[in-house]
Amino acid sequence: MAQDSVDLSCDYQFWMQKLSVWDQASTLETQQDTCLHVAQFQEFLRKMYEALKEMDSNTVIERFPTIGQLLAKACWNPFILAYDESQKILIWCLCCLINKEPQNSGQSKLNSWIQGVLSHILSALRFDKEVALFTQGLGYAPIDYYPGLLKNMVLSLASELRENHLNGFNTQRRKKISLPMSAVVCLWLRHLPSLEKAMLHLFEKLISSERNCLRRIECFIKDSSLPQAACHPAIFRVVDEMFRCALLETDGALEIIATIQVFTQCFVEALEKASKQLRFALKTYFPYTSPSLAMVLLQDPQDIPRGHWLQTLKHISELLREAVEDQTHGSCGGPFESWFLFIHFGGWAEMVAEQLLMSAAEPPTALLWLLAFYYGPRDGRQQRAQTMVQVKAVLGHLLAMSRSSSLSAQDLQTVAGQGTDTDLRAPAQQLIRHLLLNFLLWAPGGHTIAWDVITLMAHTAEITHEIIGFLDQTLYRWNRLGIESPRSEKLARELLKELRTQV
Amino acid sequence: MESLLQHLDRFSELLAVSSTTYVSTWDPATVRRALQWARYLRHIHRRFGRHGPIRTALERRLHNQWRQEGGFGRGPVPGLANFQALGHCDVLLSLRLLENRALGDAARYHLVQQLFPGPGVRDADEETLQESLARLARRRSAVHMLRFNGYRENPNLQEDSLMKTQAELLLERLQEVGKAEAERPARFLSSLWERLPQNNFLKVIAVALLQPPLSRRPQEELEPGIHKSPGEGSQVLVHWLLGNSEVFAAFCRALPAGLLTLVTSRHPALSPVYLGLLTDWGQRLHYDLQKGIWVETESQDVPWEELHNRFQSLCQAPPPLKDKVLTALETCKAQDGDFEVPGLSIWTDLLLALRSGAFRKRQVLGLSAGLSSV
Repeated sequence: MAQDSVDLSCDYQFWMQKLSVWDQASTLETQQDTCLHVAQFQEFLRKMYEALKEMDSNTVIERFPTIGQLLAKACWNPFILAYDESQKILIWCLCCLINKEPQNSGQSKLNSWIQGVLSHILSALRFDKEVALFTQGLGYAPIDYYPGLLKNMVLSLASELRENHLNGFNTQRRKKISLPMSAVVCLWLRHLPSLEKAMLHLFEKLISSERNCLRRIECFIKDSSLPQAACHPAIFRVVDEMFRCALLETDGALEIIATIQVFTQCFVEALEKASKQLRFALKTYFPYTSPSLAMVLLQDPQDIPRGHWLQTLKHISELLREAVEDQTHGSCGGPFESWFLFIHFGGWAEMVAEQLLMSAAEPPTALLWLLAFYYGPRDGRQQRAQTMVQVKAVLGHLLAMSRSSSLSAQDLQTVAGQGTDTDLRAPAQQLIRHLLLNFLLWAPGGHTIAWDVITLMAHTAEITHEIIGFLDQTLYRWNRLGIESPRSEKLARELLKELRTQV
Repeated sequence: MESLLQHLDRFSELLAVSSTTYVSTWDPATVRRALQWARYLRHIHRRFGRHGPIRTALERRLHNQWRQEGGFGRGPVPGLANFQALGHCDVLLSLRLLENRALGDAARYHLVQQLFPGPGVRDADEETLQESLARLARRRSAVHMLRFNGYRENPNLQEDSLMKTQAELLLERLQEVGKAEAERPARFLSSLWERLPQNNFLKVIAVALLQPPLSRRPQEELEPGIHKSPGEGSQVLVHWLLGNSEVFAAFCRALPAGLLTLVTSRHPALSPVYLGLLTDWGQRLHYDLQKGIWVETESQDVPWEELHNRFQSLCQAPPPLKDKVLTALETCKAQDGDFEVPGLSIWTDLLLALRSGAFRKRQVLGLSAGLSSV
């Protein structure tokens, strides 16, 4: 008890000094300093109140003769008053000073002064005279119009921040306003349009110059603060929903899928960095999926020995298949939700084709299923089975070709052609294309025929873009996972460079 | 019902008295009763906010009171203004008492105890008075912070937060006044015109006319399902402007060209009168042969530059308006004798200036000198 009171006296001196320096917080420095300390000051106020409420007003003055000054200074600082519950606690402290039965005029004056301070905290601000006259003239009191005024001011500030962000902080207008992360999160939590605009900006980037350059998209995503903000489940769900819509609207555009993968990766990184108290259960982020599946997918391939990747993929496949085939009656969103979850995790999703090509053994059914599912989530069981058969056949041929001493573009095209009849649907065509591309990158003689094959493949601008996207994504993924294969990488880069000049 | 209405009357009186020195006679018991009344009425507001008939009856009573006191636009409200005010009548009363230095020691002490009982006092149903007051203080400080640290007047008036807020308030009031009686809004606006700083008022009207059609205003927390349409407020304003030529002339004179163009585009009913005014202004200028420019006849006339500015702005408006303006100018030019030579008809000169300005602009922007509509 005594120690507490000593602490309080020390704190008191400290805060008295601070408040004197801050004054009315009219300069940038005092404002920043106030904001940094405002939470601690509230704690101090709470402790003060606990002490004061036990005393009668005379004792209070004896114990803390300058308390009136301290409280008044705090009341003149709008940053303190605006914070959380500080204004309430200040008011309570002031109330402790009021003398119930003033014995002399001095005490009476003190009471009157306290009333004045209380009234000041609640009083109407001195606005531009014209505005004051206008609102009064209409019969409105501040309590009527503060909500509307605040809303308009914040909206205007938010749009200015957005403009600043887009124009790279045009410092001519005013001093740079950069919001700390917590403020951005607060803004997005309270004002959905701000969050939506931030996401739309991201989508704009996708269809602009940053198209098909995942590295730049990653930078942009990181700069946007969306991944850190998404550690808050409410924000994550909104962002995810927007991704889901974009995917549905574009009928599964590969650029969107790639962006989702980059975003998820940044998000997982941010989640790991987030303080323990912000960790929410997985279920809050991914409500439509089984926890075991989410947990497996969230593992970073880098954290698992390379030799075990195949095993993990099989496990993922089993879990997904279970989820998909047991939910044919549309519970919990059905196959789409499972697929949507899966595509978030590019590390695994994009690895399947590679793994299939690299294993000389009989391709595992689980992986075939996973690949077919990835490219054709809407397929029925029969169709998927058919695709699996086709893929198996292609893989067989590719394996044979990889053992032969020379490759020809024509042969490869034939291999693909065996699957590419007119009745092969787009998803399966895409799948085969990507298998071939993988093959070209990995097979020892691949580089000799790569360009020819691609020329044959890329007969539309759309497919060309798709191939560019594929190469960019593959390079990006290898880089991230530390997959080193100088020859493959060199080939991929050359092809990418060449193709980019063509569009 | 009648007892409720009487209660309302008495409370209104009480509220009026609470800012006078009469409170020096109040003892703690009076303070307590006053606050209890307020609390009761707030409860009424909550219970009957959605109940059409009762709400209407209460509102009518308050409006009647208002009318007796001279109606809206008379200045600060001594009593309760409308049903909405009932929702925070306890806060209104508390603020008045808190600001009143005439309050005696005992009454003051009791007031403060009542208003700020301390932590741990919670009401399951509604926000306590303490919370409402704390919230008011918080908002006030937030406005203070933003106003004096983060605010800069937006050159586009219709996007300026202070202007927007005033416009929203005006539209809200208009709606309310309109509900009471059909011709009240016009009288209301006229009385405002007489009492309020006119320049600001004109700007607010312009901004109000540019507000998006379906905005939900946060001041209204209880919607009784009565039809609310901000568009009606605009209509009232347009009507009033058209019916008051002196006001409209001041409106067109005081406001910047760009703003007027936006307003006129949005409310086509205003364009004939605006164009008419511009024509009148134009006709007052005469050509000074020596200086080679158009000058004012009297000092209060609108100078050439301003006239030109306004026409230029109008010519940049989207089609229906732009075409009307050009047609008007061509007509005036024809009436004057259809001269092509400068210095004879101001309309010729204006058209010449507008065309060359447009040509220069296209050159600067690198656009082809194709079809010119000006």
